Amino acid sequence: MFSALMISVGAVTGISALLAVLMVIADATIGNYGEVKITINGDHEYEVKGGKPLLGTLMEQEIFIPSACGGRGSCGLCKVKVKEGAGQFLPTELPWLSDEEKENNIRLSCQLKVKNDMSIEIPEELFNVKEFQAKIAKVRDLTHDIKEVTMELADPPEINMVAGQFVQLRIPEYELTDEPVYRAYSVASNPSDTKHVELEIRLVPNGIATTYVHNYLKEGDDIIFNGPYGDFFLRDTEREIICIAGGSGMAPIKSILLNMAERGIDRRVRYFFGARSKKDLFLVDEMRRLEQELPNFKFIPALSNPEEEDEWEGETGLITDIVASHMETGDNTEAYLCGSPGMIDACVKVLSEKGVPDELIYYDKFG
Amino acid sequence: MKQSPQLQQVQENMRPGVLTLHGFLGSDKRDLIEILEEDEAEVRRMGTSHRAIADKMAYLRDRGKDGLGEFIDVDPHFEVRVDSVRGGIPSPFGGPGLIPKTNTTVRNTALQREIVYTDINIHLIGEHGFYEGKGSLFRMEPHELVEILEVETEQQQTELPSNR
Amino acid sequence: MSESAYPIAIFFAAVFTNNILLSNYLGMCSFLSVSRELKTSFGLGVAVIFVMTSTSMLNWVVYYKVLQPLGLEYLRFIVFIIVIAAFVQLVEMIIERVSEVLYAALGIFLPLITVNCAILGVSLFMVIREYTFVESITFGLGSGIGWFLAILAMAGIRQKLKRARIPHGLEGAGITLIITGMMALAFMGFSGMLQIG
Repeated sequence: MFSALMISVGAVTGISALLAVLMVIADATIGNYGEVKITINGDHEYEVKGGKPLLGTLMEQEIFIPSACGGRGSCGLCKVKVKEGAGQFLPTELPWLSDEEKENNIRLSCQLKVKNDMSIEIPEELFNVKEFQAKIAKVRDLTHDIKEVTMELADPPEINMVAGQFVQLRIPEYELTDEPVYRAYSVASNPSDTKHVELEIRLVPNGIATTYVHNYLKEGDDIIFNGPYGDFFLRDTEREIICIAGGSGMAPIKSILLNMAERGIDRRVRYFFGARSKKDLFLVDEMRRLEQELPNFKFIPALSNPEEEDEWEGETGLITDIVASHMETGDNTEAYLCGSPGMIDACVKVLSEKGVPDELIYYDKFG
Repeated sequence: MKQSPQLQQVQENMRPGVLTLHGFLGSDKRDLIEILEEDEAEVRRMGTSHRAIADKMAYLRDRGKDGLGEFIDVDPHFEVRVDSVRGGIPSPFGGPGLIPKTNTTVRNTALQREIVYTDINIHLIGEHGFYEGKGSLFRMEPHELVEILEVETEQQQTELPSNR
Repeated sequence: MSESAYPIAIFFAAVFTNNILLSNYLGMCSFLSVSRELKTSFGLGVAVIFVMTSTSMLNWVVYYKVLQPLGLEYLRFIVFIIVIAAFVQLVEMIIERVSEVLYAALGIFLPLITVNCAILGVSLFMVIREYTFVESITFGLGSGIGWFLAILAMAGIRQKLKRARIPHGLEGAGITLIITGMMALAFMGFSGMLQIG
């Protein structure tokens, strides 16, 4: 009886142990991709641990490929050219890749797993994108729902960027969230101040990042962000400039204007700021000050729905109508827009009708 | 009832703090698949479809966009306001494309009722028949949508055809 | 029936007349939930065919070469489950390594299959009916294909159901089970064809 019990226990234990050992071996061999080498642009080499998506693997090496969806395959921004070492196209990549891109071995780096040595190509500007540790230097209310947040850089202590670019703020876990989240915000400060980055952040109901910023972030807090990103910047031409941006869209425009004032750029520039009522206006004093520094700059705020007590005497109506009434012609003009897709579409239409060619209308695409 | 691993992953994406602060499930303790089945049954009973409801929501939003953030009149007796902020959110169901953060407020002046919905709602309802969990911030009750937005419904057969 | 034709008879019986899902009502829970969508049903069905065939072969070897010689047949319930779980884990790792595309298509179903009672059921039936090695292969394959056909048929039917008016209380699992019963009745019509066990 006892021996039968021992045999049965022994048998089950033996079989389980055997299979467990098999699993461990399999995990260490089949499941383990070991160290692989990634070569970037032919000359930068990195030894990395295989098995994870390319996007995350590169991030660990401090190379930040842009992404708006956190690696879910929903934004299509993380495209990378993989010359060698990629496998077949995954079904989650295909919706984002044109035939031409497929022929050129463009892959979605958040879906592609690093399993063997790879050789990839990325735009050189991305090497300038770094992760920054910073402290919150100042938090100020601009309106009832927009806060101005100024960060002082700690490590690295300086940032090298161009006016109009944006950064990705890392929101740590808090309250209901249990993993960090990244959200993009345009930089409002003058890039010549390399030690500070200023953001304008508008509260979005149910927004993970904006709720954190408005309810939790305090002066003195530590924060992490990476950047700079984006190809929204002032083109070096002699054309007239039209800027249209409301709400937190002012950020990149303000950055551009401050930079223009500092460099003494003389081009004619008009900034149309659309808001609902007076309580949505902000930094008007700053704009008026810039009008003094830049003689050829006019700030034109327009309210679409002013309240009685505002006693508003400026422009009234929809921003598209105001722009149309102020523009005589679109000749020799470039436009810089910052706002929601709906507002951008409407403005593009007005500008096109006035004769501004499509390729001279610039806007940030992450909006 | 058990659900496929894909739906399990979708339910994970809908938890608070993953894509939006409060998530899409509210205080609903049921599995995603039960929420979907119950809402689908209600929509069917009303004689319409997810697609029809989503199309009406999208139609009113598109007309409302012309208002550029202010209320605009839409036939026959609606007032619509559309406002949006920058950025987009991936769908909890996965798939390509970021959904814009656009809010549409529709006032039915004939019924004196108002409803607010987002572009995410339009996507979730039209593509997946998901109206969000009960208690969620943007829970869309199918019958409210049908009534306020005046979605066309088919006449429901209430009697069995008689045999001659 | 001659000896050599027997595995073939078992195969057809496993698919039609003794369908593991419709006759023995095994493997119900994933059947009910996954049959909601046609595409996922297809994926799960293929994964089931593969795992059922492989594990019935593996378990045959384990039973007749390890358990029986040691007189430990009564341990088969535990041992079969352990073998199935380990096998599925291994297969998942191999697929992920070899083909990312295949992993994206089928890999996610594998953990779901481990607890599918039809898989264990096939191994246990094989022991009860004292099948030879070849017969256990055809039995596993046939049962898998039978399960696959059943879930595919159900998924197709549920697509049509989307337009139908279903009594309030029967929505979801209720009507699905009723329809499964009707399918089982339909499959019983095959029973004149072949009989096994």
